[in-house]
Amino acid sequence: MIKIRQLQFTYQGADQPALANINLCVKSKSIFGLLGPNGAGKTTLLSMLSGLLPRPARSIFIDDCDLSSGNNPCNSGLSLVPQDYAFYQNLTVKENLNFFAGVQGMAKPVLKTRLGEVSEITGLQQRLNQKATTLSGGLKRRLNLAIGLLNSPKLLLLDEPTVGIDPHSRHFILEAIREINRQGTTIIYTSHYMEEVEALCDEIAVLDKGQVVVEGSLQALLQAQGKRSLCVDLIDLPEAQQLEALGKMPGLTHNSLRLDIPVSSEVEILKALETLQEQELGIGRIHYGAHNLEELFLDITQRTLRD
Amino acid sequence: MKRLWYFIHKELLLLGRDLHGLLLLFVMPAVFILIMTFALQNQYADEGQVKIDYFLLDQDDSPLSRELIESLAQIDNLHRLSTAMNEQALRAATAEDDSKFLMIINKNFEQQLLAGKSALRLEIAPGTKPVMVHLVNAQLQNILGQLSLKIQLQALLAMGDPGAVETLTQVDGKALVTVQSLYKGSSADKDSQERPSSVQQNVPGWLLFSMFFIAIPLSNTLISERSQGTLARLQSMNFPYYTILLGKLIPYFLINLLQVVGMLLIGVYLVPMLGGERLNLGNSFAGLAVISLSASFAAVAYALFIAQLARTTEQATILSGVCNIIMAALGGVMVPRFVMPPVMQDLSVFSPMAWGLDGFLDILLRNGGVNAVLHEAAALSIFGLGLLLLSAFLFSRPGKH
Repeated sequence: MIKIRQLQFTYQGADQPALANINLCVKSKSIFGLLGPNGAGKTTLLSMLSGLLPRPARSIFIDDCDLSSGNNPCNSGLSLVPQDYAFYQNLTVKENLNFFAGVQGMAKPVLKTRLGEVSEITGLQQRLNQKATTLSGGLKRRLNLAIGLLNSPKLLLLDEPTVGIDPHSRHFILEAIREINRQGTTIIYTSHYMEEVEALCDEIAVLDKGQVVVEGSLQALLQAQGKRSLCVDLIDLPEAQQLEALGKMPGLTHNSLRLDIPVSSEVEILKALETLQEQELGIGRIHYGAHNLEELFLDITQRTLRD
Repeated sequence: MKRLWYFIHKELLLLGRDLHGLLLLFVMPAVFILIMTFALQNQYADEGQVKIDYFLLDQDDSPLSRELIESLAQIDNLHRLSTAMNEQALRAATAEDDSKFLMIINKNFEQQLLAGKSALRLEIAPGTKPVMVHLVNAQLQNILGQLSLKIQLQALLAMGDPGAVETLTQVDGKALVTVQSLYKGSSADKDSQERPSSVQQNVPGWLLFSMFFIAIPLSNTLISERSQGTLARLQSMNFPYYTILLGKLIPYFLINLLQVVGMLLIGVYLVPMLGGERLNLGNSFAGLAVISLSASFAAVAYALFIAQLARTTEQATILSGVCNIIMAALGGVMVPRFVMPPVMQDLSVFSPMAWGLDGFLDILLRNGGVNAVLHEAAALSIFGLGLLLLSAFLFSRPGKH
């Protein structure tokens, strides 16, 4: 279990804290999604978890082990996979893996075994002698992930690990992450790809302006935030006559091509659909019930454009 | 220690694949040394019709010593500085380079001359070109030899036995003059005086220039690591900052020493092969090692400091390039210090390259030993240590990366 208690951080010279009174619980062996718009504090939180930024005493615990104390053995079970390609472009895949394993003090036989294991998980066996600079974007992401797996971490921090790659590579990486989690690694995962988070994570937290806005089980949050309304996307803009007829439905709101019709039962849903059919409106999409994560995220963060 | 080896190995692999870095560190100074050595060869070698100043102290004050003084006055390229100073003050003034030589005519001059023993001491100012010492020494030996023959002949003639003329002996001129340099640790009286040449100025000069240019590849790798997140990843791996710093410092320190060996070998073998003067490595490899190690330490610490100051590789390249050129211009690499006016010579003490160059010249030109380079080596080491501590402080600041 990873516990974060009343964690705060303000960058030097900043007016606002980057993190303000963060409290979170991440279950062991789970995949925890950390969401938030740009500048919300996700990377700051990962930096504090990984020790890149100073950790105040008694603020971050892994299995009741306080990470703030300097040579804490719990730190060695932690690994950060940054968003950037954090390896050496002019070294081969094998040289990179050797270096990052070696500087972590791995003995040669262990290093050799672990190098074989991580290159298998990330599908890099055939690329070991290729220079990193000549790898495709997807392979670079896989190398970035492979380096993070070298120390067999108990807690893996993934900062947007699939950004900028094609769907096939993304699928491969997501499968690799599932496999790593199945082997017992707890994962904290940040991404702007909501469908990825929806597919991977058991629990999520949404950060905004340095604060936790929402936290909990993904399914429960989607259910709770879902509106009891019929959301209709039209193909063409309705004419005045059609709008007048639609206006008779109580509580209907109209915004360009989107209609939002409040309904409380299946009967009301059928009634609303009949009205739409009568008016001969071209319908592109109809949605009812729980939100998808993107809708939930935009609602929570109030759809305003960020930096 | 094992971790450190992985850092060093990685750095050497990266540098080995950086063609531009290798060209900058090894080819650029080699080209500079060759071009400047041959371009300025005649400038350094041409002594011209100069007057050589000297002090003279006559401790014998006899007709024969006055005859010697008179003979010296007849020599066109020697110029006696008149003074009323005592021996100690004259020696101090010569050591300060007020004059190139101090000649002391010993007491019992005539007896010493007849006995073929040291009749005159020739003391040399520091930095006096060996060719000048050779010239003055040869003239003194010639005059003393003539005087010796003359007094032997006069003694025989006084005895009224012309047959005894056959017993006249040619004295060994070398034994009559004791040469002593006022430069500490110098061995200027050796027969193997090398002619000072542009190779002695240009090899250490451009070598130091290229050693400080290590700031470009070193800062570029460090800044790339910082901007690509590699440094953050390394720092998150929970090992001390000094391991990362030492992992940079040691490989580039070794590269610096390779530069020293390479450039000195160019001076010793390649320059003479192409028709230039051969570089004389002096008599103290230990002294050469001390000044090379301290210059390398200063250059690497300076490179680390530049890497901490600059945010981008472009900034690092411009900053280190400009600083290096200023240090080289001021420090006597581009324009030798001995041709600078006194004010510029005084200003040159602000350039670490001047300290390094002085140290190398102590060995290569003045034949000094370890003691001769200690103060330059200390200055370079203090400079390096200061920058290293500053770099370590900047590097370890939380949230820096």
